[in-house]
Amino acid sequence: MTTTWHADPIALAAYVEGSLDDVRASSLEAHLLTCDRCRDGVATSTPADAIDRMWGGVVDTIDTPHRSAVERLLLALRVPEHLARLLMATPSLRLSWLVAEALALGFAVIAANGTSGQDEELVLFLFLVVAALLPVAGVAVAFGPGIDPTYEVAAAAPMPADRLLLIRAAAVLASSVSITALAALALPDLDAIAAAWLLPALGLTAATLALGTWVRPLVAAASVALTWVLFAAAAAVSTQDRLAAFRPAGQVACLAVIAASAAVLAHRHTLSEGRIVR
Amino acid sequence: MSAPTVEIHDVRKRFGRTTALQGVTFDVAAGITGLLGPNGAGKTTLLRMMATVLAPDDGRLRLLSWDPQAADERLAIRRRLGYMPQEPGFHRSFTAFEFVDYVAILKEMTERRARHDEVRRVLGLVGLEGVSGRKIKALSGGMRRRVALAQSLLGDPDLLVLDEPTAGLDPEQRLRFRELVSDRTADRTVILSTHQTEDVAALCQRVIVMLDGQVLFEGTPRELTQVADRRVWLADDRAAGARLSWRTADGAHRNIGEAPSDADLVAPTLEDGYLLLVGDRAFAEEAA
Repeated sequence: MTTTWHADPIALAAYVEGSLDDVRASSLEAHLLTCDRCRDGVATSTPADAIDRMWGGVVDTIDTPHRSAVERLLLALRVPEHLARLLMATPSLRLSWLVAEALALGFAVIAANGTSGQDEELVLFLFLVVAALLPVAGVAVAFGPGIDPTYEVAAAAPMPADRLLLIRAAAVLASSVSITALAALALPDLDAIAAAWLLPALGLTAATLALGTWVRPLVAAASVALTWVLFAAAAAVSTQDRLAAFRPAGQVACLAVIAASAAVLAHRHTLSEGRIVR
Repeated sequence: MSAPTVEIHDVRKRFGRTTALQGVTFDVAAGITGLLGPNGAGKTTLLRMMATVLAPDDGRLRLLSWDPQAADERLAIRRRLGYMPQEPGFHRSFTAFEFVDYVAILKEMTERRARHDEVRRVLGLVGLEGVSGRKIKALSGGMRRRVALAQSLLGDPDLLVLDEPTAGLDPEQRLRFRELVSDRTADRTVILSTHQTEDVAALCQRVIVMLDGQVLFEGTPRELTQVADRRVWLADDRAAGARLSWRTADGAHRNIGEAPSDADLVAPTLEDGYLLLVGDRAFAEEAA
């Protein structure tokens, strides 16, 4: 369709440059919809690089990977786009894993609310032991040979495998701690002991990462988990206090484990930046 | 040979009681080098070392003039390396685009627009631009192989290590692969392991044959073919002295081995040379 009047060439040039005011630009765009000649004028006077840029933007928008709920949350939390993409390949950051974590803790909370007296203390003990182990389980399946199907390709890439594991472990720890903290709020007779899993969780995660510089993450996590369960049970039996591992002495021990693990990690990371397997 | 880009000297590797490599030594220059050998010959172990994912127990490697054992030099190698493993794993819920995009991030391409342009480029090189949005779990085996090849081409690497890149590809895709690899080797080094002797004959300037963790032959494809000179002949039946013999489509038997003096000799292929080379060693070991 063609109209009988045509746009002023100066206005067209200003439109192409992007310097035309909004009201006149809207009016001109309405005219362009019905005028072949003016539309041709815009097309021929638009610089090729501007069209390329625009087309590149369109193609990029189409190609941009579908973002999952977790990835959108990461972006909302200002995590850089490329790191969010890397984290999306973490099994223990998938929605299904997070839901499973929440369900496990939810059942523990329901059990705690349905008991009293000695049983209540036993359920609290189990909740605290399991809560401290959840991030360890997440870190165990965050990255490593036999866990990440792209491990072989990642191992040959410039980004060191150690760094990728630390990035993923930090994200897993943050998600586990958030979920566990919410679950702990629902415990009966909420007091300070309900938060006593936090330092053990940090300590066990740090110990898993430190041990993981020598052995595979799954082996490291299993060893740390077994040691933790034995320690918590032994402390309970030897002191006749089921929550002994979570009292101040236990918390100090966890701080010591965190400090020692951090030192090991720093030392081993320096030694093994992007190390190759022997 | 021009200056070597890959130097391998007396490299050894054991996995428990199994000896994978026992004193491998050779140099590779820019161009395409093919690694041939039966399963278990040590090709994949050697390629994994060239891809900096596995360290030797003993011996020395230099890749692009750098030492992969030194952390800073290893990083420099990885920045110029493309690697396609024998069994590339995928996050199967990713699309082809997402997977290559993920590897591009691991290769330090953090700026999104430029990274996506590069991902589109390499997917286009392997002819997958039309299915880039399809989930990997929905792709055929050959397409997945091409996705793996695409990620290895990210950043136009100086050293391209490809472990059986044409396995599972149909004939047309294999031709496209040859075209793609041969187009980019003017000053690049490509090392590919394969069971396809036709690929070596068509593509490679050098060929290395491995057997039992050792280098059995190193030379040009022509020199490997010459191993079978005057040792391939046609006859009505399987010849008594033939190491290998099979009936061809026109009914004659193609015999490989020590030809009798009156044999109807035919021009050997690279595959004949390879079969004789590997067969001679096996024969010698049996005799010993």
